[in-house]
Amino acid sequence: MSIHDATGDADAPRHADDRTTGERILAGLRSRTALAVALAVTLVVFWGLGYRQGASGSDLLSLTIWGVMLGGIIALGAIGLTLVYGVLKFPNFAHGELVSFGAYGTFTIMALLPASAALRPFSFGWDLLVGMVVTMPLVALVALVVDRVLFRPLRVRDASLVLFAMASLAASFFLRSVIYLVWGSDFLFFYPGRSNPVLSLPLDIRIQADQLFVFVLAAILVALTWILLSRTRMGKAMRATANNPDLAQVRGINTERVIAATWALGASLAVAGGVMYGLASQLRPEMGWFLLLPMFAAVIMGGIGSPAGAIVGAIIIGIAQQVSSSFINPAYGPGVSFILMVVVLVLQPMGLFGQKDD
Amino acid sequence: MALLEVRNVTAGYGDTEILRDVSLEVGEGEMVTIIGPNGAGKSTVMKTVFGLLHPREGSVHFEGEDISRLQPYQIVERGMCYVPQVANIFTDLTVSENLEMGAFLAKRSEIEARKEAIYAYFPRLKERRNQRAGKMSGGERQMVAMGSALMLNPKLVLMDEPSAGLSPKMVGVIFEQIAKINKAGPAILIVEQNAQLSLRMSDRGYVLASGRNRFEGTGEGLLNDPEVGRLYLGG
Amino acid sequence: MMQQIDLARTALLFLPLFLLGLLALPGRATRRAILALIAAAVAAFALPLILDRGTLTYLVSFSTMAGIYAILALGLNSQWGLAGHVNFGVAGFFSVGAFTSALFTTTMPEGALAAYSQQAFGLQWPFLAGVVMAGILAAIVGFLISIPVLRLRTDFLAIATLGIAEVIRFIFQNERWLANGPQPMRGIPRPLDCLFKDPACSWLPTGVADFLAPLSPRDYVFFYLIVVSLILALVFIALERISRSPWGRMLRAIRDEENSAAMNGKNVTRRRIESFVVGSFIMGVAGAVYAHYVVSIDYSHFNPLFATFIIWVMLMLGGSGNNKGAILGAFAVWGVWSGAAFMIDSASPALQLISDDLPSRGAYLRWMLVALLLGLIVLYRPQGLIKERKRVSDFMPDDTNKD
Repeated sequence: MSIHDATGDADAPRHADDRTTGERILAGLRSRTALAVALAVTLVVFWGLGYRQGASGSDLLSLTIWGVMLGGIIALGAIGLTLVYGVLKFPNFAHGELVSFGAYGTFTIMALLPASAALRPFSFGWDLLVGMVVTMPLVALVALVVDRVLFRPLRVRDASLVLFAMASLAASFFLRSVIYLVWGSDFLFFYPGRSNPVLSLPLDIRIQADQLFVFVLAAILVALTWILLSRTRMGKAMRATANNPDLAQVRGINTERVIAATWALGASLAVAGGVMYGLASQLRPEMGWFLLLPMFAAVIMGGIGSPAGAIVGAIIIGIAQQVSSSFINPAYGPGVSFILMVVVLVLQPMGLFGQKDD
Repeated sequence: MALLEVRNVTAGYGDTEILRDVSLEVGEGEMVTIIGPNGAGKSTVMKTVFGLLHPREGSVHFEGEDISRLQPYQIVERGMCYVPQVANIFTDLTVSENLEMGAFLAKRSEIEARKEAIYAYFPRLKERRNQRAGKMSGGERQMVAMGSALMLNPKLVLMDEPSAGLSPKMVGVIFEQIAKINKAGPAILIVEQNAQLSLRMSDRGYVLASGRNRFEGTGEGLLNDPEVGRLYLGG
Repeated sequence: MMQQIDLARTALLFLPLFLLGLLALPGRATRRAILALIAAAVAAFALPLILDRGTLTYLVSFSTMAGIYAILALGLNSQWGLAGHVNFGVAGFFSVGAFTSALFTTTMPEGALAAYSQQAFGLQWPFLAGVVMAGILAAIVGFLISIPVLRLRTDFLAIATLGIAEVIRFIFQNERWLANGPQPMRGIPRPLDCLFKDPACSWLPTGVADFLAPLSPRDYVFFYLIVVSLILALVFIALERISRSPWGRMLRAIRDEENSAAMNGKNVTRRRIESFVVGSFIMGVAGAVYAHYVVSIDYSHFNPLFATFIIWVMLMLGGSGNNKGAILGAFAVWGVWSGAAFMIDSASPALQLISDDLPSRGAYLRWMLVALLLGLIVLYRPQGLIKERKRVSDFMPDDTNKD
């Protein structure tokens, strides 16, 4: 969680003299600065390609703004993913299902609430927001139960990372099968058939009010998470545990409590992400799985364990996905995020804000 | 009754047994050094005392209570702290946040006062309190590590090779601080490569080899023991 | 009295049963071979007598599918068991193999058909050439992905392979020109299917043709089981050889003590890449064998559940690092998966009581079952049913070598 050395040198080796020119060039390419430049260049190239395919300036501007919103949704999932990754030290392949559970849970809670009129200019009413807030603790509970049943026994045994990853894959398929069994495989909509007019903004930007809301909500939640992590004792303990779990234990931090708090926070944010994603498109059992790749790309791009990095990564990924749809089949969105992830892994696996264990 | 008593402890990882029948004790306010060659199990003694590793046989007692099965955070609650040899600070956190994490179990109201007390020991830390700890020099990191361990006003501090990787000048500074801390109250159990310096300052010492107790005695006594000198102090 | 159709089935069953005997029976080589010969002969005669024809056909097609999964599990084992690579993208290599072999062996659609069915090319190569090309293409994909990722931590490999499999699936789903996009690619030839046609292949001696005459195209699977078991046996023997060779021993050493500074870094990386490529090749071969069995394939066959996840369950159940275990795991898990379908069907009235929607969603109970199975394995038997002969150090805490 440090922006202090965003542009700092990566890992300047001490014995620079021993290296050949080639190695030196390679090391230069593998710095954080180079990574930031490479990502910026990629985005510029994407805009250029879109322009060549006949997209107008305002089209590209709209796509970019949509990309920022998509980035907001990805960020809500990615923050939880990066925190869990940082604190528990394994990639949680079931995180996408927490996103899906958030959307479907909200859907079910809304059915129990009296229908409310749309809060114009938005397409949704109070019931969506109430449903979301009620679902957050429920999905947090789901995450805690999975942790208790599956991950905690592995922690106690000090199991290898691979077993954790495998267990999370099992959890992913289990949770998804629950969604299929309870809600079926058909697409669902929060407000079927409700109109969602496009606002007219200057510069010919076409945007829906809902999309603006998604962005504002994501920004508020991200800011709240930031305050939680940098001001509260539990937040600091989370960062400490992510940074050095062994030392956290030694310092008398009850790491099990920190882990529980991490799951609760990650799951709540995932709920918000799922609801926003469901509002922007539709609810389907695979929605979280499709977000998983972009979320992982954002986490790795930002540096594992760094929520600030995850946000930056998510926005870059969101923009890249949307803008790329102006020149390739939009179905390849997750593929674009995958390519960006590979670029990051090749140039600088620590990501933009990742920390070396120094 | 001694503050800390390690009674006939056997411990290890997986199939490997590292400690065999090790016993030692630390009295209140005492400074005790464990020396021994590499691989003798010195760090393992520390981990076993602190609950990071549970003994297979034997037991560890703190103020008369059996703590062999407790978790580290429960041991911290009872007034013992541990400064590991490596990775002993939170590099991502600021100096001040590092100290706070040392007092995770303390009441909120006490934390500021404790921090000021630590800054009094290590004025350098006060100057740098808002700096990220990972950006600091080796000596400063050691100060952060010791400062965080002292945040809870412990009765016993375990220190694992505090001089490792420091410049000779810094080693002197750090040991001066250790002596100061010890005078102020807490007992100190220290594992050291730098045996001469550490034994000279200690009330008593133990020599560990191949996971067993070999010698014990007063600090001066061990320093002057010809056999200890020949085998473990490099003549 | 045995009818001729049963006799013909007996003849076809003999070889797969013999290979099974060689694999399962104890003892030294010669003794085992004799025992297996006798057992296979007895079983091949007995099976058509004991079971009715439909059941036997089901059993054979079950074994064929399980055998294909066993090849996949062996491929995964050569990556994970031997070298510790976590490949969460088996589906990608599997599908590359399947579509490659399909493209190399099918006929390019012409005329009116071309409007409905598109593909990049169709070379009408023979079956075996298709299988080899499938392996080679999958190996190339494996090589390309391993260069940037294998030097990184295991978790990055897991994420990256998962990603590559998804991207490959997107490509086969969206690129119509490549392999008929979202529509299935049809007409993948079955090797030697003229054996079961009337009139039979022209080159076949009359005696053999008469012997096989009572068999209908529905019995083709009896022949395909021979193909699958031969390829499975070949892969098995190759992997056993490899894991005992210096190369295999070195891989295991790298896997068990990755941090050891004693080994030359460049060689370590090369060995790791090689083992990943070998595994990809085998998965590609499995894809080809699958494609020629089901005749018509599309992207949805290669989803993460039954083209990646279930194979991990098989390998974990069988015991990673152990080739026999991988085969056993494949048969066991495929048995559970297929058996669960029957169970859920028969439980349908009970499901109806819980909710009207549930019977139609019953298929997802199988997902749940397999996910539970993996969860239980990870929690209670991470070393699988059969342990690796030496030791499986992947599951031991690695802090034994500290002070």
